Amino acid sequence: MSAIAALLIFPGGVFLLLVGMIYEWIDRKLVARFQNRMGPRWFQPLADTIKLLAKEEVVPDGVDARLFFTLPVIALAGAMTAALYVPLVGFEASYSFSGDLIVTVYMLSLLTLGTGLAGANTLNRFSLIGATRTLTQLFSYEAPFLLALLGPAIVADSWQIGEITDYAGDHVWLLVTQPIGFLVALIGLMGKLELPPFDAPEAETEIVAGALTEYSGRGLALFHLGKGVELVIGLTLVAAFYLGGVTHPLIFVAKTLALLSILAGLQALMTRLRIDQTVGLWWRYGALLVLAQFLALIVWEGVM
Amino acid sequence: MRLGSMWRDALSALVREPATQQYPFERLQAPEHLRSKLHWDLTNCTGCGLCAKDCPSDAIDVIVLDKKARKFVFRYHVDRCTFCSQCVMSCPKKCLEMANDEWELASLTPDDFLVYYGNEEDVETVLAAAASNGADASSTDTE
Amino acid sequence: MPTTPTQENDVFRIPIGPQHPALKEPGHFEFTVDGEVVTAATLRLGYVHRGIEKGTEGRNWIQSLYLLERVCGICSHVHATAYCLGVEKLAGVEAPPRAQAIRVLVAELERIHSHMLWLGVAAHEAGFDMLFMYSWRDRETVMNLLEGITGNRVNYSANQLGGVKCDIDGEQADDIRVGLDFLEGRIKHYLDVVSQDTMFLRRTRGIGVMTREDCERMGIVGPTARASGVELDLRVHAPYAAYPEHPVNLVTATAGDLEARFIVRVNELFESIRLIREILDDLPEGDLSVRVPRRIPAGETISRVEAPRGELFYYIKSNRSDMADRVKVRTPTLPNMASVLEIAVGHQLADIPMILTGIDPCFSCNDRMVAINDPSRGEQAWTWEQLRQYGIEYYR
Ligand code: SF4
Ligand code: SF4
Repeated sequence: MSAIAALLIFPGGVFLLLVGMIYEWIDRKLVARFQNRMGPRWFQPLADTIKLLAKEEVVPDGVDARLFFTLPVIALAGAMTAALYVPLVGFEASYSFSGDLIVTVYMLSLLTLGTGLAGANTLNRFSLIGATRTLTQLFSYEAPFLLALLGPAIVADSWQIGEITDYAGDHVWLLVTQPIGFLVALIGLMGKLELPPFDAPEAETEIVAGALTEYSGRGLALFHLGKGVELVIGLTLVAAFYLGGVTHPLIFVAKTLALLSILAGLQALMTRLRIDQTVGLWWRYGALLVLAQFLALIVWEGVM
Repeated sequence: MRLGSMWRDALSALVREPATQQYPFERLQAPEHLRSKLHWDLTNCTGCGLCAKDCPSDAIDVIVLDKKARKFVFRYHVDRCTFCSQCVMSCPKKCLEMANDEWELASLTPDDFLVYYGNEEDVETVLAAAASNGADASSTDTE
Repeated sequence: MPTTPTQENDVFRIPIGPQHPALKEPGHFEFTVDGEVVTAATLRLGYVHRGIEKGTEGRNWIQSLYLLERVCGICSHVHATAYCLGVEKLAGVEAPPRAQAIRVLVAELERIHSHMLWLGVAAHEAGFDMLFMYSWRDRETVMNLLEGITGNRVNYSANQLGGVKCDIDGEQADDIRVGLDFLEGRIKHYLDVVSQDTMFLRRTRGIGVMTREDCERMGIVGPTARASGVELDLRVHAPYAAYPEHPVNLVTATAGDLEARFIVRVNELFESIRLIREILDDLPEGDLSVRVPRRIPAGETISRVEAPRGELFYYIKSNRSDMADRVKVRTPTLPNMASVLEIAVGHQLADIPMILTGIDPCFSCNDRMVAINDPSRGEQAWTWEQLRQYGIEYYR
């Protein structure tokens, strides 16, 4: 019974979706305010979702209809499953086993993968290019992002999210001891969510809406919800690992919101990178830096 | 070379009101020389029709009922007007004026866009004639 | 009908337009790409052909002014000015000095508005919405000034044949000065941003390079050409209206890339501000207009002005009636458009919107041409008889 509640109501399901929308709203509002605009009202993400859900879903010719319908569901399901293993809003994770960190990270990638496949599934030329870009970008930030999350795992000597957060709670903030990992994790999160400057896969002025160009109605709504969920989970992970573990829920939420405002600021201040520049940036700097730190950590652990 | 060179704008915008004006709740003062709805003054008009002739968008009909008795009706199509004020310039008698007071001209009914200026009984006559001739006749009785 | 990607012979073509988020006006580009790199580009214009030139032949000289003012929604005033100057030349009259000064003043304000609009659009194409929002917010200042002077925000209708309609009194002059002071500070900031922001420069520096020779060969005009070092500005080289009394300093750059186009346009803003201040300080007294006859003596003339996008050319022919016999307009975007197709090749797909915006295109301006199909590419050139037959078949 409690398992079903955990899946459908709290911390998964409805609660998660709502938190995702609230975080999305805060992000949009902050970017708008940075740009001296009004920004959307608080219910806008919810209204968007309801509108999209109510709309007719047009299935374009030449797609595999089964894939077209199931991919959004899989993408959202992946993101929601990941939520079960992370300490959402500062509460103990619902499920936990040794190695759940890796599972969580891969569940999160399911959304990106789903987006890419959804684009490749259609014949639309913008979608195809968008899908190529989405997947290219996935390969560029994925490894550094994973390494950045593994840094805390190495020092905590565990692959279980709960134990890592416990370790992070008992020691100085890992932000201080592993600053590079923190930066890479935060920026990798932006890449994962395709936020500016990593929004080349959905660059409106080039390829319309990228991989999701052909999606309307329900599928689009599910992908959007997935994005919101992923934003929450990503922020939770980074805050729990690097900003002193799981604490009182209110303080924890404040920490994630602080991270969110940094993300919003970066979004506002950056110019979109071309896809080749994104790849270059990640492999030339991101991966190398985080790898250097990773090696240093291993050596350090070995010496201790 | 600088990263994020607009950060100062971003931060100062946080403490500043958004630049967006929420129009129906917040109205700006119309500038003094704003060109809004055209006004016609019968006193000096000679019914020469120059204003109608030069109007680029056919927004003016000067209806001459009786030239001797100076019975003119000035029909103005607000929806066609482009607010170029050429009619104001063209009128030799300076009968026309574009004041800055009436600029919220949107309307849900097309009738609001048809404005008649002139003595009341003359306007009545024109309206009656238009009603009896059908709507189409309105364009034939112009100057 | 099922849609299939144009993939014959492994060619992958990306259509941009006629409806596309990057284009605010309709035009159809087709880019052949190899991965992300563009290997060929074609262009089709004419979606917003409005028959304006023909329209002038059924209107009197005064009415045509307002029709021509609507050729372009952004630089409407220069169209009206070019037309007025031409008609005044044909009629053998000259607008009084005060009118000429006000014409130039409005034209320079319009240039500020146009360049700031462009700055925002170009930044948006690069995915830098921050600059977009701020430059458009500040553009509001100059829009308000124009509204204060002329009474309209977009198609100002400041000109009339023989002069201008609106005067500038002391209070307005002060308003303009205050507005300009604010704008000058902001524009300095934007110059810093476009010439120093690391992320932005990654998208502009070295992209879309056009050499001076390229420009001269393709007949590129305006700031696009000046960014490649072509010294061509009609305000300097063929001054009209009040430009002889208020000389303009030529703004050029040599790099010829997108960054140079940004810098040239932003620097032109400073020049415009300087010029407006100079005119305000030294506004000649006198009438605002002279009488122009309703029938213009027979003859033909050309009139050229420097629009924000480059040289604007008018040919006007009169046959002594109250209507124009022929008006021919050549807008600056038309020659510049050719450059897009040429420099796009070899660039990343992501750079294309930037390169396109780099010339500050105005589609409705240049849609005044006949598209000629190229039979060698398999496009059919139809004879009249074939066309007629097609029409009959189509409606059967
Ligand atoms: S302002 Fe212009 S469009 Fe309006 S009625 Fe007068 S001449 Fe016609
Ligand atoms: S131009 Fe003036 S005088 Fe002539 S009809 Fe029009 S308003 Fe009357």
